Amino acid sequence: MSGALDGIVILDLTQSFWASLGVALLADFGARVLRVEDAAARGAGSGPDAARARTPWDWERELADRNKKSLAVDDRRPEGREIFEALVRRADVIAVDRPLREAAERRWDYETLSSLRPDLIYARASGFGPQGPDRDLPALDELAAARTGMMPILPQPDRPPVHPGHGPMYSAVMLALGVAAALHHRADSGEGQIVDVSLLAGNMYGASLDLQAYLAIGGERMLAPVSRLDMGNPMSGTLYPTADGRWVTLTMPDTDRWWPGFAPLVGIDPKDPRFENHEKRCDVNRLELMQVLERAFQERPAAHWRDAFNRNQLSADVIEDYSFPEHDESAYRNRYLLDLEHPSFGRVKSLGFPIFLSDGTARLDRLAPCMGQHTGEVLHEWLGIDEDRITELRTHGVVV
Amino acid sequence: MRAALEGIRVIDLTIWFQGPVAAQHLADFGAEVIHVERPKGGDQGRGVRSIKALPVGDWNQYFLVINRNKKSLAVDLKQPRGREILYRLAEKSDVFLSNLAAENLAAWGLGYEELRAVNPRLVYAITSGYGRSATTTKPAFDMTVQALTGIMSRLGEPGEPPIYLGMGSGDAYGGLLAALGILVALQQRRHTGKGQIVDASLYGAQLLLAAPTLQAYLATGDERFSRQRSRRTPENPLWNTYPSRDRWLFLCVPNDDASFARLRRALGDPAFARDARFGSVAGRREHASALVDALDALFRSRSADDWMAQLRAEEIAASPIGTLRDLSNDPQAWANDYFLETFCEEVKRKVTIRGLPIGLSKTPGRVESLGPELGQDSELLLADLLGYSWDEIGALKDAKVIP
Repeated sequence: MSGALDGIVILDLTQSFWASLGVALLADFGARVLRVEDAAARGAGSGPDAARARTPWDWERELADRNKKSLAVDDRRPEGREIFEALVRRADVIAVDRPLREAAERRWDYETLSSLRPDLIYARASGFGPQGPDRDLPALDELAAARTGMMPILPQPDRPPVHPGHGPMYSAVMLALGVAAALHHRADSGEGQIVDVSLLAGNMYGASLDLQAYLAIGGERMLAPVSRLDMGNPMSGTLYPTADGRWVTLTMPDTDRWWPGFAPLVGIDPKDPRFENHEKRCDVNRLELMQVLERAFQERPAAHWRDAFNRNQLSADVIEDYSFPEHDESAYRNRYLLDLEHPSFGRVKSLGFPIFLSDGTARLDRLAPCMGQHTGEVLHEWLGIDEDRITELRTHGVVV
Repeated sequence: MRAALEGIRVIDLTIWFQGPVAAQHLADFGAEVIHVERPKGGDQGRGVRSIKALPVGDWNQYFLVINRNKKSLAVDLKQPRGREILYRLAEKSDVFLSNLAAENLAAWGLGYEELRAVNPRLVYAITSGYGRSATTTKPAFDMTVQALTGIMSRLGEPGEPPIYLGMGSGDAYGGLLAALGILVALQQRRHTGKGQIVDASLYGAQLLLAAPTLQAYLATGDERFSRQRSRRTPENPLWNTYPSRDRWLFLCVPNDDASFARLRRALGDPAFARDARFGSVAGRREHASALVDALDALFRSRSADDWMAQLRAEEIAASPIGTLRDLSNDPQAWANDYFLETFCEEVKRKVTIRGLPIGLSKTPGRVESLGPELGQDSELLLADLLGYSWDEIGALKDAKVIP
């Protein structure tokens, strides 16, 4: 079966989980992605993580580098640089996440590489964007999230700020989306360009609605946490505890539509004059309705509520933990999660593919490569270098 | 200057946020996006009157920013002649995008097969709630789906309520993935000449959104990745949030001796520096809670600005934890066009909007207009693009097919 992005060649020079994952989203659809790794830095890990050391399976790399090949070359040496440049000439897209200064020193900057391949698409992943006073700050999600303004307002009042850690996932998809837009333009015009994505942009985009509401409305209420019993709409964006210590959440913003089906479930007469229209529910008697719901949900366990929500097709659910998707058959049927037979580590579960395409659907052609796993193959097949020369390059440590 | 997606026409039959924002990304990059709305009231997003119990203000930023750069076609799809308009539009479009319920689309003859018969090149994109092979059929909104993924349960201090990642946070992600799926399908069309179905469901998107911890949980089954965890019992106490006298700080110091030495110098407290419990990597891990308490006390003694100066001098990665107001004044965000100013017709003044999160150096995204008035482009689209005569348009108006 052909892939949607067949024929697109990408050199992946990234190191961070999120930037590599952004490239993987394109590899899933058939782009030919070659990770170019540093032969001189063999064995260097990608950062300390105590929990990760407990299992030999590198699950982050498995996800971020699936469907890719790997070549290791020391491009600081002239013969290595020659190989690197030959690969660049073959590439449609290059993805880089080194700091600007380091990329320039390494001659991995756009000016240098686009002189080898003028229509190159150069995807640049950074912490804070290519402009501005803080463009050289380290690309840490913690620093970007700290500046985005969401951490103080996520928890309940007077609780410590919360760092959810999902900001880079926005940036990852933004990288793939930016490259896809640039490929579209190049196919029409023959012109390459730089694609820029950053952790700050990703965090800000994730906060779109809160941020835009603050920009337009302003005020202290937007800057501090709002108690869960003081939400704007008792039936939307709210959390209530159940009898068995779990939580339900409701999203029924247009309450008029839902009220007749919802009210009886929580023991309210739909004609109760206190709550008979949207204005009374969300304005005049908003806090009172929340107190009524707070008591009502605590009378029954979570399972009762899930069943009631489903039977009545209400936009409401029980709040689960990760064991829910782990055991959710539909997540596997949709291939959002995969149950894999790994040649080295046996049965493993992994995140799968979030986007379905009926014709060019995403597929898992190969698991993440070991460093340099495809060096010989790529040198031979892509660059026409013969066996003897490859052996020589290996002996001298130019490639691994 | 050309735009990246110039020449692409998108039928945007979506409501609220996830669908509209997918089309907004395409519109920002220059696609011609036609927001198709019901004549009465239009997209439900137009009806947002308050946010967090505050009035939405004198301009409806919710709808206008999400639907920037778009045209609006108001049409009654319950009427056969309304559907006919959509078929004629489908013939001339590259993408059909909808987040309406599948039953509605089927009832209106807007399923994939019907539209493919009209235009085999059409990319047919939907953003379903739970995916194509799901058993769940109830309506899907961001927070109810976020609840199922497990991402909310792991946030906050133990015993606190679960935490929602922010208004529309998962919808925003679903929108990004839908836009990506559409562009990938358009790329494939260059080779095959054919459109196809794209589905970026909210559930599928949000599972990927949880990747940093969900992938770890799937791999290990370790509940430390799925349960709430106190900031008082971190893996590495030097990589943690701390309260200064006025604001919280995020401190990002690896637990190694060289880094800890720099932190000690920055803190400048002799008693802390002498504490033998914290003298080694293992000691800092073993006495994590005591170390958090000690750092809490130290950091509380001075202001965030004071501490930042000390930390910067030692080249330690750290940041004050700011508010949305701080962000709105952040020169870094402005320098990269993450904020823009644009003219708002509704209030006849410049307003600040969230800008362009993805930079393209030669074909940058742009905001040429905020969201359209309901149906503002209906007549012109019918006349110029779809070839209706003015008499026919008059008759459609009389029959309330278009407003």
